[in-house]
Amino acid sequence: MPIVKTKNLSKVYNPETVPVHALRDVNISIEKGEFTSIVGPSGSGKTTLLNMIGGLDKPTSGTVEVNGVQITGMKDSKLIDFRLHNIGFVFQHYNLIPVFTARENVSFIMLLQGRDKKEMQQRADELLDQVGLGDRKDARPAQMSGGQQQRVAVARALASEPKFILADEPTANLDGASAMNLLDIMQRMNREQHVTFVFSTHDKRVIDRARRVITMVDGAVHSDEYQKAEEYDESKA
Amino acid sequence: MKTLITISWRNIWRHPARSSVLLVAIIVGLWAGVIAVGTMNGLMQQRMDYMIESEITHAQIHHPEFLAEGNSWMFIPEHDRIAAWLENDPRVVSYTSRTLTDGMLQSPVKTSGVRIRGLDIESESRTTTFHENMVEGEYLDTDMRNAVILGKRLAEEHNMEIGNRIVLTFEDINNELTSASFNIAGFYESASSDYDRRNVLIRSEDFLDILADRSIYHEIAIMLENEDKATAFVADLNSEFSGITAQTWRELSPELSMLVELGGIMVYFITMLIMIALAFGILNTMLMALFERMREISMLISIGMSRLRVFLMIMLESIVLTVTGAATGFVLAWLSLWHFTGAGINLEIFAGEEGFAEIGWDQFVYPIMSTGEYVAIISVVITITLLASLYPALKAIRIDPLEVEK
Ligand SMILES: Nc1ncnc2c1ncn2[C@@H]1O[C@H](COP(=O)(O)OP(=O)(O)OP(=O)(O)O)[C@@H](O)[C@H]1O
Ligand SMILES: [Mg+2]
Repeated sequence: MPIVKTKNLSKVYNPETVPVHALRDVNISIEKGEFTSIVGPSGSGKTTLLNMIGGLDKPTSGTVEVNGVQITGMKDSKLIDFRLHNIGFVFQHYNLIPVFTARENVSFIMLLQGRDKKEMQQRADELLDQVGLGDRKDARPAQMSGGQQQRVAVARALASEPKFILADEPTANLDGASAMNLLDIMQRMNREQHVTFVFSTHDKRVIDRARRVITMVDGAVHSDEYQKAEEYDESKA
Repeated sequence: MKTLITISWRNIWRHPARSSVLLVAIIVGLWAGVIAVGTMNGLMQQRMDYMIESEITHAQIHHPEFLAEGNSWMFIPEHDRIAAWLENDPRVVSYTSRTLTDGMLQSPVKTSGVRIRGLDIESESRTTTFHENMVEGEYLDTDMRNAVILGKRLAEEHNMEIGNRIVLTFEDINNELTSASFNIAGFYESASSDYDRRNVLIRSEDFLDILADRSIYHEIAIMLENEDKATAFVADLNSEFSGITAQTWRELSPELSMLVELGGIMVYFITMLIMIALAFGILNTMLMALFERMREISMLISIGMSRLRVFLMIMLESIVLTVTGAATGFVLAWLSLWHFTGAGINLEIFAGEEGFAEIGWDQFVYPIMSTGEYVAIISVVITITLLASLYPALKAIRIDPLEVEK
């Protein structure tokens, strides 16, 4: 069973006034363990597609299934709960709670899930170690670089043990080195723990790291191909 | 929940200056509110007690027209039967009968209209504290013949000193103009300088000698066990006796009773004003906090924080802030009130000592706050806080993450 499956997914903004066809009959299916990037020119519908898959936006027509559960048409409160337990998010910016430390930010999502306190602390520490922030656990977002903040966001997304992690241009605000570092971490998680990632990007170097590349043009899937991704390089981590 | 409180607490201190200003506002507001309410209560109570104890008493009996006309022939019929009835009523603590008439006071300087009050010293002193108002000379228990006590104000206007003579002129019960000279024994000063200018005191036996051929009284002033009993007591008197009117202090002194009511309204207004200021302070601070945190909240909703929790998070922030401020404010207010209840607040800073005497108020006020009033203010503060934080919290849960990203 695919982790994500869209059926004839369409989205029209402002249907009454100036209709914008942000998505046109998108049919994609993402399997567990895939490392997929969604690319395409600006305005091609990448963000719209990710928002649909993540249950943040509602399609005009068509459906989205996550792990066999149709989320299209779900009640708002149910959808929020579904996101909490099934989908990890890494946004382009404003990912973290500013008044919380890295550790608290990672624990917070597990707290929302109602997990055991002890387990929470331990897992937060482990994950921060994994993303290379073992020494910044008590730092607040304002005291961290953009790259470090994005890594906390990845740790937070992983902490909730989601079916997959969605990331809309996670490297857009990062310099080259930080972007590659973040990609390294994501790639390693994918290889070692089979975490499923779906992310959008403009960055050629980031695209090269993806196994599967879905190209959007004008709201439709233009191409969908598997490539030999550049391997994760331990020395760069 | 503990984590939500932690977020709220840290969010409060994200802008230490802004939160401190609100905290100080809550503290000062509450402190000022409690002090103002307490002072107002104290002022009213003191005024009421003083007026009742020194002069008005809880209830009075008159000829139905005496208060309006002030004529000497409008005396109380059946005085002795009423007196006997009062002796036997357990509600009565003490009473005194007064012989009163409006007349003229003449000195070498000028003539003034006054009310001549003939008092029975023994029962008067048991019933009222008016004798405590003496500021100079002797009271009516002096050996001096035809002694008269003047208000200090009146004496000053007439340039009179103790030992001087004045002439009192009035109509006796046969409508005949009568004059007699009196010797000034002393001066009094009551809480009202207006009263001091219009009332002179003499012994009722001296008065009766020239006013009538028998004992007549125009006023019976009665102190009861308890102010609450006045209304029922007066009703009993009115149904028992005809040809008289018995009235409670509230009826006798509408100014006083209005004052007490006004005090209540003032207290209400002070509280409302403070609460409105408080509500706007909270509303403003919380809306500011909300607007600058839209992205954060939208992120939290996106990753799966329920709207109920977002609501609680925002509410908790104002609640934590108010509880901190209110608790501090109340402790301070309680301590100050406790201090002032003993020491009194000197109102001289608002107007000179003279000014207060002029309007008949004491210079020192001892604030009073009942437990009920404390509870009421606390409940109002809590309600207002909840209401004021409701709007930002409701706004927060309606955030659409997609809209905020724009
Ligand atoms: N809320 C909206 N109302 C109207 N039109 C919208 C809205 N959101 C997106 N669009 C339009 O839908 C189309 C797809 O937008 P989308 O944000 O998905 O593109 P994108 O591929 O993510 O672009 P970028 O690379 O610039 O992020 C665009 O033409 C955009 O203008
Ligand atoms: Mg986009």
